[in-house]
Amino acid sequence: MNWDNLAFVVFPYISLTTFTVGHAYRYATDPFHWNSRSSEILEKDRLKYASIFFHYGVVFTFFGHFAGLLIPQKLLTALGITPAIHMRIALVSGMLFGLLALVGAALLLWRRLGRQRVLRHSSMNDLVTLGLLAAVIALGTYNVFFGHCDVLDTVAPWIRSILTLSPAPGLISSVPLTYKLHVVAALALLGFSPFSRLIHIWSVPVPYLYRSNIIYRQRRAE
Amino acid sequence: MKIKAQIAMVMNLDKCLGCHTCSIPCKNVWTNRQGAEYIWYNNVETKPGIGYPKNWENQQLWKGGWSLGKKRPVLRSGGHTKKFAGIFHNPDLPLIDDYYEPWSYDYGKLIESPRRRRQPGVRPKSLITGENMRIKWGPNWEDDLAGADVTGREDVNFEGLEKEVYLQFQNVFMLHLPRICEHCLNPGCVASCPSGALYKRDEDGIVLVDQQRCRGWRYCVSGCPYKKVYYNWKSGRSEKCLFCYPRIEAGLPTLCAETCVGRIRYIGVMLYDADRVCEAAAAGGEKELYKAQTDLFLNPNDPAIASAAAAAGIASHMIDGAKNSPVYKLAVEWRLALPPHPEFRTLPMVWYIPPLSPIANLAGNAEGTHIVDRLRIPVRYLANLLAAGDEDTVRLALKKLMALRDYMRARRGAAAPESPGADALLEEVGLTPAMADEMYGLLALAKYRDRFVVPTVQKEEVGDLHRDRGMCGFPPGSQGMEDD
Repeated sequence: MNWDNLAFVVFPYISLTTFTVGHAYRYATDPFHWNSRSSEILEKDRLKYASIFFHYGVVFTFFGHFAGLLIPQKLLTALGITPAIHMRIALVSGMLFGLLALVGAALLLWRRLGRQRVLRHSSMNDLVTLGLLAAVIALGTYNVFFGHCDVLDTVAPWIRSILTLSPAPGLISSVPLTYKLHVVAALALLGFSPFSRLIHIWSVPVPYLYRSNIIYRQRRAE
Repeated sequence: MKIKAQIAMVMNLDKCLGCHTCSIPCKNVWTNRQGAEYIWYNNVETKPGIGYPKNWENQQLWKGGWSLGKKRPVLRSGGHTKKFAGIFHNPDLPLIDDYYEPWSYDYGKLIESPRRRRQPGVRPKSLITGENMRIKWGPNWEDDLAGADVTGREDVNFEGLEKEVYLQFQNVFMLHLPRICEHCLNPGCVASCPSGALYKRDEDGIVLVDQQRCRGWRYCVSGCPYKKVYYNWKSGRSEKCLFCYPRIEAGLPTLCAETCVGRIRYIGVMLYDADRVCEAAAAGGEKELYKAQTDLFLNPNDPAIASAAAAAGIASHMIDGAKNSPVYKLAVEWRLALPPHPEFRTLPMVWYIPPLSPIANLAGNAEGTHIVDRLRIPVRYLANLLAAGDEDTVRLALKKLMALRDYMRARRGAAAPESPGADALLEEVGLTPAMADEMYGLLALAKYRDRFVVPTVQKEEVGDLHRDRGMCGFPPGSQGMEDD
């Protein structure tokens, strides 16, 4: 087994398995710790811009990856988005939101390590999570600015091959190292996320947008 | 009409001596955990002052509670969409320093110190960082007016008054304000919670945080204008006063009320019309909110109301409790108790009887109830605190208390037993001798069984209390003390 098989066939499935099984396990066994673990009450001056930049950057980057990598190019071409246009959109939005997320992550690190109160309150888990996030974002932002690689015919079809259970590691073997590192770091983060504070992503309070103001609950609802 | 029952409290500020005895059992039972050191479900403040957390009453600063929209009350800090879009940062959340940084002392030094010429000392250590710290603020920093010449200037209740005059030493006045969660009819915290973790209990109106659903978004903390929802910095979830619901269910008063040395607290059931809550909270003028809220309350001794309540599914013991409710008497029948800061539009349910000031030097003057305007505590100040600035509401309550004093003094032989003067004073403020006798019993004698009319919950309604004992919403093994 060569390194590419290990990193781009075995590792993705390990990561995706822990991702799905891990979330289900955590939700079933530990609902009490399912929250965002905010430390805003301890420090909010540095957090303000750090959190806003980071979250908006990451949210838009996430949707960008989702749309750009998972939707087959054939479908997009049918909709009038040629590969050239697709790449232009991906690069411009990637530069903008990637940079936003990178600045945010750097500010978050600066805050977490530089403020005694926050640092003392941080677990190793928190530090690993933030470190991994910063690494993934930094590699991704580097790629979008300095890497020159056609991901539409390499990384994108490889991801789809993984998700359709017909792995084709050959598709990704030719991309530059920084792209490979970005992918591996992102997979590591994905596999680790169910055991970190990142689970709060799944609690996006969408029902809040349409619920009434006051909630009454019977003493014994169940 | 949709009738609901609410367990409510009245505190008689006229008798509060500011001893903090209420805070201690509450602290010992509910918030003696890591992350909750700074949390006081019950605290006692001295007014004038800015309170705990700092300036909590100033909604220009904290944006808690509701303001009046076009027709309905709207959350002052923004509606659901704005909160959703801004969920990554809550600009209105107080910092822990606005409450105080919790600390302890390394007492071990006292016994481990080697023999020295001087006594060993202990230094305050932050319970957050473990480092030495300087104590700059605490939960009762302004106790008995400590530093009021500095902080008192920021007290918003001085609106319309020359605060410099009242903060001079010879004019200064003081009152104690014990505070718990208001368990509002229109709670800002519940409306602010994105996860829907906060809710109002249908049976008794107690507002609780579902600890398993709280995701730590913290909007409840900023949404509460009384700042009575707290964020546990260790567990990452919000907590608040539970109105000691396990005790209430067992027919016992809350810990703060049970232990009150001055017997200032009253607990009882109120019936109200839940359909008109929104309408009442949207009353046009701020001064109309008090009346709008009292209009929500239904008379449980009206047979039509009692049968409608039974038809609405309210348990018979709750209706019986409402009929004997001391809160109903104090708030509705006698109009002695008033809601704190009704202008926040949350329709609070822990009310206060305004305090008379020391009046020894005025006693014996045949001025009757008119001296309420010459008391040491300016009526305007109390009106800003308890009636959105409506002085007449406060004045009437104070006059009733004065008339009651004169009436009882007359009965005790200071004047002829059937003194027409005292009876006339009663009549002037709309009381009868029979009402005065009952008021005397409830306010002055304040027997345990009269102060607390708490209907016991039927066992069938609450499941296995024996299994749940000591947990109160926290699932097994997760009392917030875990180390992760």
